[in-house]
Formats: sequence, structure tokens, C-alpha cells
Amino acid sequence: MTLLDFARGPAIHWSLIILITGTIWRLLGVLVLTRGADLSRPRDAFGNFKGYRTVFSRAWPSGEFTTATRYQTAMAYVFHIATLVVVIGIVPHIEFITSLTGASWPGLPNAAGVAVGIIALASLLALIIRRVSKPAIYCSTWGDYFAWIVIAMPLVTGLMAFAHLGPRYETMLAIHILSVALLFAWFPFGKLMHAFWFVFSRAQSGVAYAHKGVRI
Amino acid sequence: MSTVTAETRVFPTFEQVCQGFAGQITQLREMAPEPTLSDSVRVRRAIDTLIAETNADEAVWLESCIRCGQCTNACHYFQATGDSKYAPMRKMNLYRKVYQREIGPFRWWYKLVTSEVKLKDLEDLQELVYDSCSECGRCAMVCPMGIDTASLVHHQRSALVAAELVPPELNALRMEQKHRGTVFGASEDVLRKMIDTIREKAGVDIPLDKPHAEVMVLSSAVDLVGNGNGLLATAKVMNHLGVDWTVCSDGFESANFGLLSGDMSLWKHQVDPIVAAAERIGAKTLVIAECGHAYPALRWNPMLKSGELPFEMIYMSEFMGRHAKAGRLRLSPLKGKVTFHDPCKTGRRGGAFDEPRAVLNAMGSDLVEMPANKEFNWCCGGGAGIFLLERATYLRDESFKIKMQQVNSSGADTVVVSCASCRLNFEAGRQKNNWDKRVESLVELVADHLIDEKKVGSVTPIQGAAA
Repeated sequence: MTLLDFARGPAIHWSLIILITGTIWRLLGVLVLTRGADLSRPRDAFGNFKGYRTVFSRAWPSGEFTTATRYQTAMAYVFHIATLVVVIGIVPHIEFITSLTGASWPGLPNAAGVAVGIIALASLLALIIRRVSKPAIYCSTWGDYFAWIVIAMPLVTGLMAFAHLGPRYETMLAIHILSVALLFAWFPFGKLMHAFWFVFSRAQSGVAYAHKGVRI
Repeated sequence: MSTVTAETRVFPTFEQVCQGFAGQITQLREMAPEPTLSDSVRVRRAIDTLIAETNADEAVWLESCIRCGQCTNACHYFQATGDSKYAPMRKMNLYRKVYQREIGPFRWWYKLVTSEVKLKDLEDLQELVYDSCSECGRCAMVCPMGIDTASLVHHQRSALVAAELVPPELNALRMEQKHRGTVFGASEDVLRKMIDTIREKAGVDIPLDKPHAEVMVLSSAVDLVGNGNGLLATAKVMNHLGVDWTVCSDGFESANFGLLSGDMSLWKHQVDPIVAAAERIGAKTLVIAECGHAYPALRWNPMLKSGELPFEMIYMSEFMGRHAKAGRLRLSPLKGKVTFHDPCKTGRRGGAFDEPRAVLNAMGSDLVEMPANKEFNWCCGGGAGIFLLERATYLRDESFKIKMQQVNSSGADTVVVSCASCRLNFEAGRQKNNWDKRVESLVELVADHLIDEKKVGSVTPIQGAAA
């Protein structure tokens, strides 16, 4: 078995199993806990439902915090969108998804894929530079840096494989797939899980404050 | 604004009240009890408390932090000092550690790779959850995950109660309320004497212990042992409105040092008699005095089934605001520009935004807002008991400068507050900084501007009397 066979075979498959079971385990482990009921009388009868708006409204910071948040908000949006476009937009990825699910759709031209990948990596760099340069604001842990490395690796190795930089193509591709396997396998254990938590966390606070007639 | 006339002076000025309290707070530190349990028992009790208080809400919030740093900028204690240890996200680190080791889905792993919580960790936590968090909730307004750090801080206060690590001033008052049922000695007798004084000196009647009344009104220790003007003003407003009201001698104290310290058994011990008294007299409305944290202690406490109670609980500013909106408060004009400071517990964490503004509008006042207002209001820095902590003086003083800037840039010459704790903090800050603004209480301002009441008694100050 070559490194590429290993990466394409057991590595990516096991990482997907870890991703799915680990995510379900972590979500269930939290969500099965009891919820403390708020027994106080709500400010208005249907007010609590308005709280669910926070799940969507918190996608953009309030004007009050524009100055403090705009750099990070802008970079975070660029990163998330660019990464999503790369993940589902370039031809080799679509082929991989097709092999797993059968679904297929037209891919981006190569040049566009590379450009978006570079944008994603640049925004990720912009975020880590800010994190490192303002330690008092971010209070970073090793988990933050590890998550950054785990996310940056597939972008770096993917671009290198595409540009035929570094080792020979097959090896580089194998490294790229292994880095994705690491990302999948790490996903349920670190802060990348915010991809799921944000819905619950925002909804909880939105409802708790809406109960008192406050829109957050 | 109020006018000072020699013949109507009854109680000292709030400036003097504030100075009097400073002396009493100094004594509290000496009265605080020492820990009695062994270190390991204290740690275990703290952990058990956190385990017992952790539901899915807390777990999700603890899981969700991505350390994006947004909350740091929203916190007045960080903004004022620039010290990263005051970042809101750091205030949940110990809680998260306990959660991960004891409750979380990967607890077996975290027990292997993380160290046990030690008493030193809890001692270090004290500054983070008492001195440097007023549970104002401003960080929740910016957090992209929507984490309500203030709630998490409150649970940690409960854990520190279990670990005998309540700061001395809060602990002394907690013990006083627990064992004697009073705050700063504000007993039933003190209440009766204050009511007598108000009747004799100001000619204003306060109906005490009526068997039945539509409106039950609470007072607070600050009013009973220092600022008699607060209760006097309340009485004048109630009498002006002609409501059927009473004060109950077995349930009159708004202040709840159970909620403030995190001792929820004391919280209940304090709330139950108030609820019982209101039910007994058939009250339809329970009016909570201008005491910020009393609002969440009663109105919004999730453990109090207020939906099933036969009466509603409203804050003094809400009560006046409703009557102002209905045109029942007849008020003379208020001159000058005013701004309203929303106490964190009644504003962002209570939702009573419109009513106090309706009261000020009913006075035809030139009401201006601070740059950050309502949900985004900056805490004055003294909430959640922090005003009492000597050790937190620097944090309080520095963060109050943010508040001063906010008021200054509003262009107002008077800042109106509706919380005794905010008011004490504003007054202390005003004196320390020789600030050229006036600080007024909403209820006292209203009482001073009531029309058609005979000018007997006044909430206006007397010079030279001690608090």
C-alpha cells in the first residue's frame, strides 16, 4: 500500500468515522443534560420565541461594537466563505464527494480555485497574526493554535499539491489528504465544534434575554 | 431640580449618606467569619455545587467559547485596566475545567490530562467572579456564540460560597441577613422608627401592615439606615397616585445578599417571606424598591414560579413609568439636560428600558442618551456587590471613568439612576473625581416634582446631619 493508498483509504475513512461518532458523542453528551426551566413569568407571552432570532442576528455584530470587531468579522467571513468555496467548488473535491455520496455538480475553473484557496489562507494568516499580536485580547490556549494548524494544513498542502511544489505530486497529494484526515479526526475534540455549538448557544441566550423583553 | 429650603430638611443629603456607608463598609471587613472547613472539603463542596448547577445551558456555553476576544473589549474592567486577566472569557476557565473533568462527554480524558482543582485555584477565582465581574452581561451582547458569561459567573459565586471564599464585606452582610434577617441592622424596628420619623418630620403617612392592600411596596436597607429620602419619596409618589398600598413588616427588604454572594439558600430564605406577605394581603402588585439586584432576585429569578403567583412584581421605575404613561403622574418640568443610566439588572438583564424614560418624559425633561445606552449601556462598575469591596476600589474607580466619559459625551448635566447601588457608586465616583454632574435617583426626582401635593416634608437635603 502506497502512502496515497493509505491516505485515500483507511486514513480518510477512519477519520470520517471519528468525525461522525465523535461529533454525535459530544453533542449528545451535552444535549442530554437536563435544562433548567425558567419559572419566572415572561415579559410577554410570545416573547421567548423572538429569542431564536439571535441565532441569525448574531451572525453580524451590532453597530455598538463595529470598531472593535470589524477586522476580525471581515477576516472571519472571508475565511469561512473562501474555505467553503474551496471545499465544495474545486473538481478533485467534487470527485471525492461523488465517490462517497454519488452527488455531483460542476466545478470551478482551476485558476479560480487557486485564487480562492489563496484568499482563504491569507485570511487565516490575518487572523493568526492578530491573535499573536494582541495576547491580552485573545487569551489564547494551545487548543487555539492547534486548531489553526489543523485548518491551515489542508489549505497549504492543497495549494502545494496543485502547484506541484514540494515532493512529487502523489506524495504531496497523500500529505494533503492526510492533513484533511487529521482535521476530520480532530474536529469533534476541539473548538472546531463551534460549527454546531453556535446554534444552541445563541438560541439559549436569545431566549433567556427575550424572556425578559431584551433583544440581544 | 429640587430646591433646598431650610424648613423642609428631614434627612441628610445622599453625599452624606454615601460617606456614612463608607464607614460602615470598613467595619464589615472585621466582622467577616473565617473559614471553618478543611481545604479538601471546601474544594469538594465547590466542585459539587458546580456539578449540581450545571444544566445543558451552562454546558453549551462552556463548550462554545472560541477565544475570539470580542468579549474582552466589551468588559469595563478590561477596558479600564487593560489587564487580560479580567477578560470575560477567562472568568469561565475554572468552571470549564470542572465541567470537562466531571460532567463533559470526554471527562475520562480530561481527568487524565488535567490537574485537579485546588483551593489556590478557587482563591484566585475570587477576584475574577466577585471583584471584576458585576454580572452586567455586556459581553453577551458581542459574543458571536452568544455566551452568557454573567450566568456562568453567578454559578461560580455559588461555588465560592460553598468553599467559604466569599469576600469579607459580602460575607459579613450575607451572615447578618442569614442569622439576623437584617442588612446593615435594618430590622423591623428600624423600619417602624423610619416610618414614624417620616410621619412626624415630613408629615407623610406610610401605611404599615395593612391587612389588605392592592400594592405591596418594598424598601431597602440603604433607605432605612441611611437615605430616608428614598422611602419618603416612595411614600409621596404612592400617596400622590392614591393607590391602596402598604409596607409589610415581615417582608420589606429588597436587598438580597443571597443572590449577591451566590448563596441561593439565603436567596430563598429572603424571598419566601416577601411572597408570603404579598399573598396574605391579597396584593395585585409588588413594587420592588430602587435596588437593582432585587429585580432579578424577585421578578426574574428562574426558581421563583412567578407565573403562578396571584400578583405581579415590578420595579419602582416600571411602576412609575406605567402611571406616567397613563397620565396619572402630574409632574412639574425638570430643567436642564438629563440622561438615564440603565442599571444592568433592570436594563440589559431586566428589560425595563421604556418606563424610566417615560417618567422623565412626563417631566418634560430634555432627555439625552449616552453613546452606549439601553442594551449596550456600560456598567457603572459597582454592581453585583462590587461597591462594597474595598479590594475592588481600583477596578471600580477606573471603570467609573468610562461611565463619566459616556455621561460627559451625552451633554447632560444630570445623570438619573434607579438603583441604590449604582447611585452609591456614582456618588462616590462624583466625589472622588470632583465631577461637575448631578446624580439623582428617579423616585426622589419624581417626588420632588409632584404637583398638587401640599408642600409638607421634602426629599431635599439637610446639611451637616450624619448618615
